[in-house]
Amino acid sequence: MDFINSHILSLILFSPLVGGLILLLVPGNKDLTRRLALALSLIPFVFTVIAWLGFGAAPEVDGFRYQEQVAWYPAINSSYHLGVDGLSLSMVLLTTLLSPLAILASFSVEERIRPYMALFLALETGMLGVFMSLDLLLFFVFWEVGLVPMYFLIDQWGSKTGERELWAGMKVPARRYASFKFMIYTMAGSLGLLLAIQMLGVVSGTFDLIAIFQSWPSLTGSLFGLDIGTVKAIAFWAFTIAFAIKVPVWPFHTWLPDAHTEAPTAGSMILAGVLLKLGAYGFLRLVLPLYPAEAQQYAPVLAILATAAIIFGAFSAYGQRDFKRLVAYSSVNHMGFVVLGIAAAAYAAGTQDATIALNGAVLQMFNHGISAAAMFFLVGVIYERTHTRDLEEWGGLFPLVPIFGGLLIFSSMSSLGLPGLNGFVSEFLVVRGAWPVFTVLTALSMLGLFFTGAYILKGIAKTLHGPLNEKWKGHLSEITRREVLVLAPLLVLMVWLGLWPAWLLSVINQAVATLFG
Amino acid sequence: MSTEILIWLIPLPPLLAFFLILLFTRRNHAISHTLGVGAAALSWLIGMIVFFAAIGAEHLGEHPFTSSFGWLPLGDQVFSIGVLIDPLSTVTLFFVAWTVLMIFIYSIGYHNFGQPKGAHDVPGLPPHGAEEHGHHLPSVEPMYARFFAFIALFAFGMFTLVVSDNLLTLFVGWEIMGLCSYLLIGFWYAKPSARDAAVKAFMTTRVGDVFMLLGIVALYSATGTLNFREILYNHELLATLASTPSVIAGLSAAGLIGLLLFIGTIGKSAQWPLHVWLPDAMEGPTPVSAMIHAATMVSAGVYMVLRMFPLLSAGWVEGGALTPTMTAMAFIGAFTALFAATIALAQKDIKRVLAYSTISQLGYMVAALGIGAYVAAAFHLVTHAFFKALLFLGSGSVIHGMEHGVLHTGEHIDAQDMFNMGGLRDKMPITFWTFVIGGLALSGFPLITAGFWSKDEILADAFGNGHIIVFGTLALAALLTAFYTARQITLTFLGKARTKAAEHASESVRTMTLPLIVLAVFAIAAGWAGIPEHFPGIGGLLPNWFHDFVGGTLLEHPEAVAFNIVPLLTSLVVALGGLGLGFLVYRNAGQADPVRKPLGPIYTLLENKYYFDELYDAVFVRPAKRIAEGFSYMFIDRGVIDGFLHRVARAAYSLGGIFRNKFDAPVVNGFGDFTASLTQSFGRLLRRVQTGQVQQYLLFVALLAFGGLFYYLLNILR
Amino acid sequence: MIPLSWYLYLAAGLFGLGLYGVLARKNAIAILMGVELMLNAVNINIVAFWRYLTPENMGGQVFAIMVFAVAAAEVAVGLALVISVYRRRKTVAADEINLMKW
Repeated sequence: MDFINSHILSLILFSPLVGGLILLLVPGNKDLTRRLALALSLIPFVFTVIAWLGFGAAPEVDGFRYQEQVAWYPAINSSYHLGVDGLSLSMVLLTTLLSPLAILASFSVEERIRPYMALFLALETGMLGVFMSLDLLLFFVFWEVGLVPMYFLIDQWGSKTGERELWAGMKVPARRYASFKFMIYTMAGSLGLLLAIQMLGVVSGTFDLIAIFQSWPSLTGSLFGLDIGTVKAIAFWAFTIAFAIKVPVWPFHTWLPDAHTEAPTAGSMILAGVLLKLGAYGFLRLVLPLYPAEAQQYAPVLAILATAAIIFGAFSAYGQRDFKRLVAYSSVNHMGFVVLGIAAAAYAAGTQDATIALNGAVLQMFNHGISAAAMFFLVGVIYERTHTRDLEEWGGLFPLVPIFGGLLIFSSMSSLGLPGLNGFVSEFLVVRGAWPVFTVLTALSMLGLFFTGAYILKGIAKTLHGPLNEKWKGHLSEITRREVLVLAPLLVLMVWLGLWPAWLLSVINQAVATLFG
Repeated sequence: MSTEILIWLIPLPPLLAFFLILLFTRRNHAISHTLGVGAAALSWLIGMIVFFAAIGAEHLGEHPFTSSFGWLPLGDQVFSIGVLIDPLSTVTLFFVAWTVLMIFIYSIGYHNFGQPKGAHDVPGLPPHGAEEHGHHLPSVEPMYARFFAFIALFAFGMFTLVVSDNLLTLFVGWEIMGLCSYLLIGFWYAKPSARDAAVKAFMTTRVGDVFMLLGIVALYSATGTLNFREILYNHELLATLASTPSVIAGLSAAGLIGLLLFIGTIGKSAQWPLHVWLPDAMEGPTPVSAMIHAATMVSAGVYMVLRMFPLLSAGWVEGGALTPTMTAMAFIGAFTALFAATIALAQKDIKRVLAYSTISQLGYMVAALGIGAYVAAAFHLVTHAFFKALLFLGSGSVIHGMEHGVLHTGEHIDAQDMFNMGGLRDKMPITFWTFVIGGLALSGFPLITAGFWSKDEILADAFGNGHIIVFGTLALAALLTAFYTARQITLTFLGKARTKAAEHASESVRTMTLPLIVLAVFAIAAGWAGIPEHFPGIGGLLPNWFHDFVGGTLLEHPEAVAFNIVPLLTSLVVALGGLGLGFLVYRNAGQADPVRKPLGPIYTLLENKYYFDELYDAVFVRPAKRIAEGFSYMFIDRGVIDGFLHRVARAAYSLGGIFRNKFDAPVVNGFGDFTASLTQSFGRLLRRVQTGQVQQYLLFVALLAFGGLFYYLLNILR
Repeated sequence: MIPLSWYLYLAAGLFGLGLYGVLARKNAIAILMGVELMLNAVNINIVAFWRYLTPENMGGQVFAIMVFAVAAAEVAVGLALVISVYRRRKTVAADEINLMKW
């Protein structure tokens, strides 16, 4: 028990990776592989629950709990240093919760499941590592580790049809296009990220985040003849762009609809559910604490971009015929609120408005993870049965699939931000936090909120309502028990977080207060 | 159990019923409606206990029943939510509990409980009727259980809204009702018209909702709380808000917040210019219409502005000049009252007439609030809820009877078109009498109906405080109201049957008529609670309880307006005149509207609702679609951003090509290839030596040997 | 007494004849015969040098006998090869047996 308590983060972090390796080695038929993968993915979740329950009692050092530190590259003062606060723990919870669900959702994958499941588990380790790292180099390593499995998941198991024309005469399969765009885009950001991390590491003589936090304000010296201010500014922009691409902040968002649309169902769930949060997490963990002044200076720009994301994301979602792409654009829209909250908090740092905005932003990250995963899964369910994502091809399916319909409406309402469900609380907090700071922009973002309703209802109306498209009669089976099982935890969380968000918010609030209070 | 705990319990039974029906009992009709009605009855019972506890309490306005707990930890503060029963929520709770219960009971009969299943009925469409032993019978609704689940959730939303002690939970109830109205208007979702109406209702009210959300956050930002008592009972806070300028010039912070909140009401209570969704909401089943129009949704809009009245009127002193926000309310309310009434004149559908009449009556309330007539607005809200629920349920009963006739005769006619009716008085006596009571209440028939007292009070307030324009508009609207009510009653019930279906119409079942009777009682009796003290003859027989009680909600109890004969005479004249005129015009009407010809193009204009739907479609809906598809997605994302990316990709691609073709291939590869080919050609040259002829080899050996020997010898010799 | 050089001239002439036969004749048998000539020319040299320079040492005679033995073995193997080639290719012409190239 002592060992578990003192190494809980490492256990959470590496159990998926080890599980993936085990999976590759253990022989067995498809069914066994699936079950084994699910069982293995539940291990980190169990550990996370243990960590969550013991969080309050765990000793706190410099704001982080469950810290572990082992020498790694002593020569450059980089160590294997893990630790969580409320901010990262809630994201860890989200990750370990969504991963088993995504694996359960992948039970319908038929080809090459062993590498598929193994990649998923490796992906989980990558994402968890980003949330837990307290060392910049480690952070970067995990940042990149998460990228590779996702690339293969999209490229190998993505949708089989469709192609994109890059320019006249240059056509590529859609999933290749999407995976490539995803990879290249993120790599473009990582490049700057690595540069910034190196600069920070060199000027402060260590990669340890806590040490950097402490030495940062009084840092002196120079690098390549640049004074410290310039170095900081370069690093700031490198960080900002890397994270902005990952969130994604408008106008760096176009990789998202492509990647989400072409990824396999479970891949979309994880992409929307967790991967997008890495960027926002980066803002909260690195940019705001390290660059309060610059962040404040450029917060209006960020807020404008966030508002653009909210409005254009909603509009573009509304303009879709492809249901999955519609849901993908809804992510742009929802993540816009996260960024708006972050921008407001950066601008009004230290005030109650900033605290509320940040609470809202983090909660919105969590909520969007849940509702977007549910939405992508539901789209996947109907796609598997009808082999189309075109809204015009469906219509009036409600009588054929009443349970699916009910679940779709329920999840849609969560995504729409219906009061009483999870999305509303966080959107309300973000809007409340941003209003006194960016009044006009917040008012404008309401346009996006309005069109959120429009595209959600469009999705429901075109799928479930209206006259029945007779060709599906007898060809559409109801959602299965396994699929309901995937959704059930998400639906429970939607209601739970809608009615009693305090269990999560108190943890987040604590972290926000410590970090930015 | 203390009253506070009881208040918490009021909204819960319907919520529980919603989940139970959807999760467990949706296949069983009887259990489902028992759960639904049982939940409504339980809420009603608790509501009544709370109601009587409240009216028995001393100084409820100063010491309301409240209870709250911390909900959201934010920084070092905690956002609390809770319940509040003060005089305003007491009376609202009263009418909500009653109408909700009646609507639930009515729904059992309306959805043909106990009738056979129709052979051709499918979920998503209204039942077509069944055939049994050669008789045409109405068939039971295929989604019977689901209906009760939805209205239960609706009831939960409304009860939540009423008992909330803060704007946030009020908004929660508000939006849950919005969802339910969407689900219920689109109840027969397979009909494209119903589906579109549902989306329209949701989206139109959402316009108001996002503004309201802004109002809420603005209020929260400005005051740090959303609790009604903390804001509305805080003189200094209100004064500060009223004197702080806002981002919009000429508007104080309180004015701006009030205006934003009021836009929410415009959407929810279907005021002009967001009124377009409400008539289309008639696509839903009739109990839904009653629910939306009378008991819950639209009342919620007015309830909210009533609730926030101290904020909306911050900076206004009784009798003084109106604030900009109040002026806007007075203008929009009065305009809507008249505007909707004119449209109602030319509608054929029995429910649509009522829909427009609802819009018009809500306009009364909003206008009343706009001129500061707080109590009158609340009074009209209560009485209107009763008689409008009565009218809607009555019209549902009429339609039901007509559908019965249609089934029986096999005629293909619109069962909701009043010009297909006529003479139903004898076929459906209970429906007729209760409908007449409701209609008279709506018209403000003097003395005996509740509508008279409440409407009269609004007119009296408008006149007494010198708002002559509002007074005139509302009086004119009242005249039109009486006129179209008489038109409706005459066309539907009086005269002779215009179609065979109308001849074979029959009275509805008891579960439908019983609620009508109960509501009819309230449509009359509710008015007695608020008879002005100085009314000639009967004033003072009963105390003006309503004014004293509800007025107690406000920090400064409003003065009852002094009695004046002018508004009284006006309301008498418009009510009786309108009713009489309507009866005379439509007494002998055939299947065509007798005023169509004399009014000419105006009639067409009214019939088409001033073309607002078409206007909005052209100005908002279609451009929005075009922006979404063409601009935001195809142009910005696909065109500009992806186009840029593809250009970068192409540039990188061609740059790579250049590197490959100009450097890699000729220089790097060239060097390697050159080395290889040099070796090769040298080898090829040497290969000639190797002929395979042993003797040749030997010859070379010999020659070399001799050569070596000679060289050696030469060296020695030298 | 015949001087040593005469023997050497004889041996050189014989060697030249043998070499010529090896290089010029096409028939493998003739080539073998040429080889025999050359070997015997060597033998003459060995015996002549022994007799004139170190008659007390038996090494020269022993070497000559060794050469006979080798020559006999060589002819045995050589003729066997030639017969084997002839059986396969129906020829013993050396220029037609040219597989030994790249």
